[in-house]
Amino acid sequence: MRLIQSVFAPALALVIALASAPAMAEPLPKPTGPVLLTISGDIEITNTDEGTAAFDLAMLREIGQSEIETTTIWTEGRHRFTGVSLKALLERVGAKGKMLKATAINDYSVEIPTSDAVRNGPIVAYEMDGQTMSRREKGPLWVIYPYSSSSDYRSEVIYSRSIWQLDRISLE
Amino acid sequence: MTPAEGPPVRAKFDKARIGSGILLTLAAMCLMAIAFLALEITRELRYLSSANSDNVHWTLSQAEVEFLELQHAVDRSLHSDNSGLDRVVEEFDIFYSRMDTLARGQLYAPLRRDPAFIEPVTAVRTQLDAMIPIIDGPRDQLRDRLDDFARELHPLRLEVRDLATAGLKHFARSSDASRVSVSVTLLRLGIVTGVLLLALAILLFNYRRVMFQIARRGRELSDAYARLNTILETSLDGVIVAEMDGQILSFNPAAERMFGLEAPDVIGRGMGELILSDPERESDAAGMERARPNGPLHVIGQGRVKLEAKRANGDLFPLELAIERASTREGTLAVAFLRDISLRVAAENELVQARDRALAGEQAKSEFLAMMTHEIRTPLNGVLGNLSLLKGTQLGTAQARYVRNMEISGELLMQHVDAVLDVARFESGVETMRADVVHLGQLIQDIVDSQSSGAEAHGNSLQWGWVGAPLTWVRIDASRLQQVLLNLVGNAIKFTRNGRITIEAEANEAGAEMRLDLRVIDTGIGIALDDQARVFEDFQTVKSSQTRAIGGTGLGLSIARRFVQAMEGEIGLESTPGEGSVFWLQIPVEVAQAQDAPAPDATAAVPARATPALNVLLVEDDDINLEIARELLERMAHQVSCARDGQQAVDMAERTRYDLILMDIRMPVMDGLEATRRIRASEGASRDVPIIAFSANVLPEAKERFAAAGMSGFLGKPLKGAELSDLLAEFFASPSEAASAPSEAPPAVPRNPLEALAIRHSDELQQFFDWLDGVSVAAAEIAARAHKLAGSSAAFGQADLHAALIALENAAEGASDTQSLAPEIAHARMAWKAAPTPQLG
Repeated sequence: MRLIQSVFAPALALVIALASAPAMAEPLPKPTGPVLLTISGDIEITNTDEGTAAFDLAMLREIGQSEIETTTIWTEGRHRFTGVSLKALLERVGAKGKMLKATAINDYSVEIPTSDAVRNGPIVAYEMDGQTMSRREKGPLWVIYPYSSSSDYRSEVIYSRSIWQLDRISLE
Repeated sequence: MTPAEGPPVRAKFDKARIGSGILLTLAAMCLMAIAFLALEITRELRYLSSANSDNVHWTLSQAEVEFLELQHAVDRSLHSDNSGLDRVVEEFDIFYSRMDTLARGQLYAPLRRDPAFIEPVTAVRTQLDAMIPIIDGPRDQLRDRLDDFARELHPLRLEVRDLATAGLKHFARSSDASRVSVSVTLLRLGIVTGVLLLALAILLFNYRRVMFQIARRGRELSDAYARLNTILETSLDGVIVAEMDGQILSFNPAAERMFGLEAPDVIGRGMGELILSDPERESDAAGMERARPNGPLHVIGQGRVKLEAKRANGDLFPLELAIERASTREGTLAVAFLRDISLRVAAENELVQARDRALAGEQAKSEFLAMMTHEIRTPLNGVLGNLSLLKGTQLGTAQARYVRNMEISGELLMQHVDAVLDVARFESGVETMRADVVHLGQLIQDIVDSQSSGAEAHGNSLQWGWVGAPLTWVRIDASRLQQVLLNLVGNAIKFTRNGRITIEAEANEAGAEMRLDLRVIDTGIGIALDDQARVFEDFQTVKSSQTRAIGGTGLGLSIARRFVQAMEGEIGLESTPGEGSVFWLQIPVEVAQAQDAPAPDATAAVPARATPALNVLLVEDDDINLEIARELLERMAHQVSCARDGQQAVDMAERTRYDLILMDIRMPVMDGLEATRRIRASEGASRDVPIIAFSANVLPEAKERFAAAGMSGFLGKPLKGAELSDLLAEFFASPSEAASAPSEAPPAVPRNPLEALAIRHSDELQQFFDWLDGVSVAAAEIAARAHKLAGSSAAFGQADLHAALIALENAAEGASDTQSLAPEIAHARMAWKAAPTPQLG
């Protein structure tokens, strides 16, 4: 799977690039609600003076919803997670670079290669079982991989990338 | 030529196939084991790689860190303004989230079963839940209660510490277990790998073994092929291998030599067109045509067949051929083995020709012998007939003696010729078996009766008897048995002096058939062992001082042997020289009933008697025979007309009615049979009178031919008065005359002139010795009479007497007076007393 991913990644990237060509030009509106996520670094589309892209919940919803139904090792039972796919999110901001650094509220941070951002890949979830998640419930944003769909997503590396209480992403 | 795969070879291959099958199965099992292990290992690795663990240690220690962060935020907030409160809430949420994960996360489910872990977690979470109203309440309230909050947090420090420690301990244990599990899996992997390697080693070993076997079989096969080739190359028989349509595939050197063809020239061509002659080729083409379907083949599989074959130069020669079918992987082939049998055929032909020549020679010899004896008989008949006529004329004493001597010698010669004729006739196959129903006892008694006088003459007693239950009526070739017994008894009498001759008869049941044993036992001189084997051969006489005087053709026993063998019997002898001999024979007989016997011939018993004077036509080409017969008939007061051939006879019979016609068979112009047929068929005067065949040919078949031609009876040559008068009586004597016949005197002429001679000889001997007893006898007279008697004694088989008389004659010739002759006379008298009954042959 890794191999397939590495082989197809450039092609996918191209497809993605072509597909998102009109979106790139679309400017990002200013957030109106509380900012949940700030994306910085090597991106093309920004909406702050600092040259970052700040998203409130509505803006995230606007990019498009993805759902993953899976179990996790941190919760009990099966849950339906709703959020924006990492792929769509990165495209929305015209992200470049191979690696992104995701940081949580408590400054815990992990590096996620942009190659992880594929269709049916990880999402930045804002709802669990149709309810937004509080900070105590690992919200408001939680990177969720479709663990149940493939054993490739049940490795320690993937678990370490499944950062919760996410609030910043930096592209490098 | 494809080397045939013998069944053993095939069996070996099957074995190898089974072996390699096993190996393949083993290999497949190995592969399965490898696959299974690969899956096992993958699963194991996946288990190891797919961490259901996250970084547990980090998480646990993070719980402590986050607790401390919360405490720190609270402490800082106590000493500053409201701004620090948000930080407290945030840290609370983070810690709460962590504790929630520990309490509910799947990852920690096994850990939660450990009370040392779950108790502090529950305690912390209870405390945190209790704090939520304050945290979620207004900030003022939070600020007011911040001291309490800090105080309440403080004891949680130990709880968090405990749960982290418990968690770490637990995961250390499970990590150990995991290591054990991995090492067990690896050990298992090692073992399976070892097994796999072992299997591979066995596989390799087997593979090498199979390779060696294949190599060896290859060598064997090539050796066998080489041997087969050598056999084919050096075979003396031609060997041709062909397709089923006759197309030649191989042609060995012997075949090349045989047909004068070179193998390369004939390969691929049709077998039939090359080697078979044209007529054979057609049938071969048909054979091959039939051979292709599954039906039976023309020549194939029929074993050896003889054909005519053709060489390259066109010569034809006989060929022995055997074709067999051989099934090979490429299809069915015909293998032909060919042998040039021209030499053998030539040898066979030569042998057949030689045999045919030998048989023809044998036949010619027999025929010649029969003819010669027949030719001898005719003039001899003339001599004897004329002698008998001469005897009836006025003769001087010396003349009468000469005539008697000539008659004796002539009869002897006739007997010998008859014996030779018997053998010759038998050998030429003219004689056939006849089966008559006879009374065995009567048959033997007749022989004893007829031979008793001869036996007495030699001082022998002759008797016979049954051993065990007697047989009465049997079906048998009576004349032959009679002949055999006569010969044996005659022989016994000849070689026995003053002894005993016994005939023993014995009936034996051998299975379904009845066998008759006859033994002629004598107390004679016996036969030496060395001579016993050859006495049954032709012309064999035993030479010894004792037998020198006893004559004979040496044919008697050989005729007996032939007849016994013809009757499917056996004959043999046992003998001790000086004590006697036993001649035995054994023949199969068929028991019959008395009524099967032919009715006794009424006329046979009627003695010869006078018949009325008859007008007789005598047909005979030979002058002497004609004279004898005419003389005889005229003496019997018959009137005789003569014809010299068949045509004359027919003409005369046409004109004149005769009372009787005597017809010779073999004549110039027209033979007797033809003449008879014509007379019978004509309207002539004598067409229905008795015609009597008059021939030296006395064979039964001949008599049948005579009867078929219309002849009424048969007379043998030489014509004998008694036989003639018997025959005439048969045809012309009236019953009244027959009734009166016995009252007449018995016929003056004995039936057998030899018997008369013998009687006369005995009388003369008697007279001679009576005369010697007389007073005055001249020596010269004694010599003359002794000489005369000596001659007849020799002729009558009285050897001792003959010698004694010769001695007397010699003595008498030189003697002055009769007194000096006394010893010789006495000796001769003794010899006379001891001499056997005079007998001819």
